[in-house]
Amino acid sequence: MNWRAELEELRLRERLAHEMGGADKVKRQHDGGRLTVRERIDGLVDGGSFHETGAVAGSATYDQHNELESFTASNCVFGRACIDGRPVVVVGDDFTVRGGSADAAIHEKPLMAERMAAEFRLPIVRIIEGSGGGGSVKTIETKGRANLPGGVGTSLGFHYTTANMAVVPVVALGLGSVAGLGAARLAASHYSVMTKSSAMFVAGPPVVARVGQNLSKQELGGWEIQTRSGAVDHAVDTEEETFACARRFLSYLPSSVHELPPKLDSDDDPERRDESLMQVIPKDRRKVYKVRPIIEALVDRGSFFEMGAMFGRSIVTGLARLDGRAVAVMASDPYFYGGSWTAAACQKIVRFVDLAETFHLPVVYLMDCPGFLIGLEAERAATIRHGVRAMAAINQTTVPWCTIIIRNCFGVAGAAHQPAGRLALRYAWLSGYWGSLPLEGGIEAAYRAEIDAAADPAAKLSEIEQRLNKLRSPFRSAEAFWVEEIIDPRESRPLLCEFARLSDKLVGPGPCALSMRP
Amino acid sequence: MADTSVFSELNAVVLKIEVATGDRVQDGDILIMLEAMKMEIPVTAPRDGTVAAILVQEKQKVEEGQKLAILGE
Repeated sequence: MNWRAELEELRLRERLAHEMGGADKVKRQHDGGRLTVRERIDGLVDGGSFHETGAVAGSATYDQHNELESFTASNCVFGRACIDGRPVVVVGDDFTVRGGSADAAIHEKPLMAERMAAEFRLPIVRIIEGSGGGGSVKTIETKGRANLPGGVGTSLGFHYTTANMAVVPVVALGLGSVAGLGAARLAASHYSVMTKSSAMFVAGPPVVARVGQNLSKQELGGWEIQTRSGAVDHAVDTEEETFACARRFLSYLPSSVHELPPKLDSDDDPERRDESLMQVIPKDRRKVYKVRPIIEALVDRGSFFEMGAMFGRSIVTGLARLDGRAVAVMASDPYFYGGSWTAAACQKIVRFVDLAETFHLPVVYLMDCPGFLIGLEAERAATIRHGVRAMAAINQTTVPWCTIIIRNCFGVAGAAHQPAGRLALRYAWLSGYWGSLPLEGGIEAAYRAEIDAAADPAAKLSEIEQRLNKLRSPFRSAEAFWVEEIIDPRESRPLLCEFARLSDKLVGPGPCALSMRP
Repeated sequence: MADTSVFSELNAVVLKIEVATGDRVQDGDILIMLEAMKMEIPVTAPRDGTVAAILVQEKQKVEEGQKLAILGE
């Protein structure tokens, strides 16, 4: 006697599960230029490392002898796998099974994936397509009643969807059309990527048509909409590229808050001095320069990984390495309002700084900030509210912080260049230029009476400007020790690498005091 | 080759139009100089081509996403 027959039944059921929604539906998925959920998982993780949980869960029919007649897997596939040799949880929607929607879902499957990530302290990668197991009006008929969102027994999934962000890295890939609960699971992540042929929306075109907007999927929630709105971090051409993005993102992070980021050997000389840094900042302050090449010149060669490039664009954010250590890099981009903090940039800063704090990444800020964006539109966007939130997020960090003042530092947004109340490292380049507010307009405000009383107000204005300009050399500030160090910009990389090494002793594993929100 | 539209990436004022319709331009050449927050922001050609149309005028306010110029073959 042995259990061979039972084993055969298990294998049969597994085989049926691997057929997913059937050959027709798989073909339709491929014809649409999309991989199946199982191909996606294979493309994402280390070869052969996927160990599935609950493969044989689904819905079956039986003949009159109670023998298995047919079987359709549920539309959620999940399990453990390795990425670059490190264990992760992967959970994916199977769009070939009833479009990934609720009527073919087993809610406990995605829930267990999230719990597994939380309780086994593993990063989770969500591969999302369709409504992510979310509602369909069909369920009213199939269940005979209407779902209460967040009703009894259904809210735990939402708990982990957000709570995991304070515990483990959460990466979400939007592949295909993503709506409703799927959109929420995509956005509630530390890093999200979609393909350029995908679309993401709270509700799709047929539902939106009922509020009078006739839009295609792309017009409503294509990559240009969603990356510029900041709802999705990045968009690429192919599904394979989204997998590469997910792997790269995770390579900088610890597996959970209970560990420290992995340290790699670097073959880039930490003492390397880049000569281009001496002439990269234009002497004419109205002229802009490209900040990304500056970041590349400072961090370990090829290590800069930008996130959210299309949103809040006056700030560039990304992960990088300094002498092999993972760091979070923020840098101003003068091409966008001279590097002014817009409301969107402030939201981006909050999320980014919280990510650094959550996963124990030291922060490097290359700042060139003439202040908050000003004007009516900026006031309407509540720039100051988002601005003080960004400042608070920076102040609440405990991770080591190093700021290099590249050029401008003005106003309250300028003041938020390092956490208030604790010691950070700070250097100013020779191009450093600062003040409470810019001379342009600032003089008119402060010297109104003097200008009005002058016989030639314009001449008076320019005379005052010249007077003040003579006093504003950064060396005068250094003389008073208002800034601790002005450096040759070529010294920046050696100093940043020193900062990264000093940080080794300053970060420790564990949850941070503030739970990160999506 | 299909025409390529060149958009403004931010709200700004057109400071100077650096090219005229019919000009040959190379990838990276400045087409239009915008001004925002007192900074000069160059809008450059995304590829080699001929300026097919300039859709804005100097001193005009432009919005993020607004089409500024069209680049032809």
